[in-house]
Amino acid sequence: MSGRAAFGLAVACGLLPVALASQAPGPQPSQREAFVDVTSAAGIAFTHSSGASPEKRMIESFGSGVAWIDYDNDDFPDLFFVNGAPGSSNALYHNDKNGRFSDVTKRAGVGGAASKTFKTGVASGDFDNDGFLDLYVTALGPNVLYRNNGNGTFTDVTAAAGVAGGAAEWSTSAGFFDADRDGDLDLYVVNYLDYKIGDDPYCGFKKPGYRTYCSPTVFDGVPDRLYRNNGNGTFTDMSRAAGIANPAGKGLGIAICDFDRDGDQDVYIANDQVRNFLYRNNGDGTFKDVAYGAGVGFGPDGKAQAGMGVDCADIDGDAYPDIVVTNFEEELNNLYKNLGDGTFQDIAATAGLRSSYLPLGFGAKLFDSDNDGDLDLLIANGHVIDNVQLYRPTSSYAQAPLFYENVGGRFRDVSDLSGPALQQKRVGRGLAVADMDNDGDLDVAIANQGQAPQLLKNQSSGSNWLIVRARGKASNRFGFGARIEIEAGGRRQVRELTPVSSYLSSNDTRLHVGLGAASVVAKISILWPSGKLQILENVAVNQRLVIDEP
Amino acid sequence: MPWQLYRMIGRDVCVALLLGVMTAGAASGSQQAATAASTLEQRLARVRADLYGASPRLDENIRELNAILAIDPRIAEAHLLLGMAHSALGKPEMVGEVKAELQQALDLNPDLLPARLLLAQTYFDLGRFEKARDELQVGLARAPGQTQFMALLGETARQMGDARRSVELNRKVLQIDPAMAQARYYLGLALIDLGQREDGVQQLESLVRGGAKVADLFLALGNAYLEAGRLDDAVSVLSEGVQIAPAAYALRIPLARAYRLKGELASAAEQLTLAQPLASAQQAAAAYQKLEASLNTEWGALRLAEGRLPEAAAVLDKAIDMDPNHGPAHRYLAEVLFRQGLFNRSLQHAVQAEKLGTPLPPALRKALDAKIGKGGGA
Repeated sequence: MSGRAAFGLAVACGLLPVALASQAPGPQPSQREAFVDVTSAAGIAFTHSSGASPEKRMIESFGSGVAWIDYDNDDFPDLFFVNGAPGSSNALYHNDKNGRFSDVTKRAGVGGAASKTFKTGVASGDFDNDGFLDLYVTALGPNVLYRNNGNGTFTDVTAAAGVAGGAAEWSTSAGFFDADRDGDLDLYVVNYLDYKIGDDPYCGFKKPGYRTYCSPTVFDGVPDRLYRNNGNGTFTDMSRAAGIANPAGKGLGIAICDFDRDGDQDVYIANDQVRNFLYRNNGDGTFKDVAYGAGVGFGPDGKAQAGMGVDCADIDGDAYPDIVVTNFEEELNNLYKNLGDGTFQDIAATAGLRSSYLPLGFGAKLFDSDNDGDLDLLIANGHVIDNVQLYRPTSSYAQAPLFYENVGGRFRDVSDLSGPALQQKRVGRGLAVADMDNDGDLDVAIANQGQAPQLLKNQSSGSNWLIVRARGKASNRFGFGARIEIEAGGRRQVRELTPVSSYLSSNDTRLHVGLGAASVVAKISILWPSGKLQILENVAVNQRLVIDEP
Repeated sequence: MPWQLYRMIGRDVCVALLLGVMTAGAASGSQQAATAASTLEQRLARVRADLYGASPRLDENIRELNAILAIDPRIAEAHLLLGMAHSALGKPEMVGEVKAELQQALDLNPDLLPARLLLAQTYFDLGRFEKARDELQVGLARAPGQTQFMALLGETARQMGDARRSVELNRKVLQIDPAMAQARYYLGLALIDLGQREDGVQQLESLVRGGAKVADLFLALGNAYLEAGRLDDAVSVLSEGVQIAPAAYALRIPLARAYRLKGELASAAEQLTLAQPLASAQQAAAAYQKLEASLNTEWGALRLAEGRLPEAAAVLDKAIDMDPNHGPAHRYLAEVLFRQGLFNRSLQHAVQAEKLGTPLPPALRKALDAKIGKGGGA
């Protein structure tokens, strides 16, 4: 039984509140091939190595991330895949601007194959403000900071920078952002469990082949880390002083938005079977966890859920960023609507995400897939237990992604209507978006567990768009944290520029905005992290616009 | 941890320590801040009183504690109480949250001993004995001679194979506080482990006589009676335990066994039917799987006694799937297969049962050997 058919059964059997599980209203959408799988055609030969073993070590089920990073500043996003098992190599693919990618890992020096760690996530950002994006790769074990030398090569500067983390720490997602608004990028590293390889208790039936991966419940959490950028190539661990060193955290996903619109960036952490955290930035790089009061810590029944991936953005046009969190199977994903007063309401059940109940969600991204001026949602799914069908015949290890179209601030599941690329069942983990061919729509890379990734080319056409590359001056060089308001066609869209979201992954560092039929952008307001407000008027559509901070 | 047990072992120390914490926490600063703190303290005091009361309103308390933490997430005691409330809900899926709240409490106030005790107990319940031991040792370093920590440390040592250490620690505790039921319970268990069954049983019986109403105590005493062949006593004490804790399905398995051994098969079946396993196969805690294996084994033994051999074989196979080293399951399956005339397969399980210390009765083993010697059976 497919996941969706099983979902229907769940509804029929009264396992889901049907009355609450409504989808977005309106006429049924027509079939449209939203994405085409171009992985092979693009020359992507990478395959993830999970290190799977009969011992069912938890780390093997984890998967890895993917990053879009224009490392050579040619304005075409390149692609970086994190590999998992010790001895396996990450892969950096150069975008050849003709639909193909070339493997430049060896020359770039970012393979990390000599590492004895399981590698997990990736973050990109220009930590030294030299105009070139750097890479941070997380792991079960020391993390690695690769400084971009600006000539197609990278140098491991982890030790000098002081951002390796604990020698045995299990780090997951990470993100660069300017926590203290001093003009350089600080680094938030999400940590998962207090776990050592070999610590795994035996879980599942003891019959041969039935051993399964254990629940994280048996392990303790580990505090996250926040590294303050000292501006000289080094960082200082400010985790405790900044108020984010919560020992209970079992973090997997991170999203960064200015939730209270007070001009600084706040941090949301999706935790696995522990309540999620919402760290409100006090304006000086210290934080207060406001999740209890904000209503974003728990699921609708007041229980902590198995948070995996996360993204934040304004889905309903009220200018306040909302939050989407992916969860375990038989947990609805969360869609926390920002009420604008410091509180949120989980509207997943009423806003069309009911089909997320059965799949096990990981990477997630809110983006305007069809350039109609609102944010759609794509989720990579895949189970963590490779032999799950021995225990739950209705479940499956490989699962298809979920794709939701935004209709007036609510979602409609169009997965089955969007072409064969989204019907493929894989063991999805990391997910990231970028306009890889600069044709004005956002393409998708999905990192699959123990499998080849998927590169999905967006087939959208007809609507207008704008891509903004922000170049900071007093602010960080890539303008992370800039709030950009676009007024076009009588509609105002508020976006924040950040590549940080999803699961273990990093998105394009440019901002993409769909404009629908608008033929001109009446006004662009940019609130830079430095506090400067910049306004552009009557900007042409369908262009890649570079905006320099004044 | 079961709420009842927690109240038995930790209530007094928690109350005393919490009162100390709150007295020491009298607010300073501006009058407004003091007023706000006072209001929060009043709210916290109401939750505290309710949680330590006879029938705490857990959901309500959880909501209130979340609201308090929304105002000030750095109140260690609020995290502690929230951890306690989650724990008292008794839902396995909330264990992570229990630990999380207690760890946050200790991060804010490492001297918050009730949090450390409850955290140690949570680790203990999860089978993470080294972690439990570490927390208890830290607690004892901060509060030398604290009897709750000593008692649980003793029991943790027993679980890690050192029953003598438990006897030593719990005797010491009982010298300090002869009325401490928890220490006497742990002492009884340790004595039984050390082969001093009569002494151990006496310790447990004295607790029951004293009015202790904890399911684990009745389970331990019932099992001890069963091992001593005191079937009527076993039925009596386990039935009392089931009355106290109807949801404690671990009690119903030995109760069914006692009924079966008395020949009261219908009562045995009734108990096993009621012993619906709560844990799924994917539960991380190995203890749940062992319990499920034991449940299936007892079903198999009952079906064997009823002469329903195919059903017995099926359910015993299931028990062995869950725990291939379950000696009784092999032993009963060997007997089932013998009666089905499947002598070679019976022998395999008989050998396995012997290796695991649960051999077939000598007469049956001899009969099996005779059949094998004649080359009979499949």
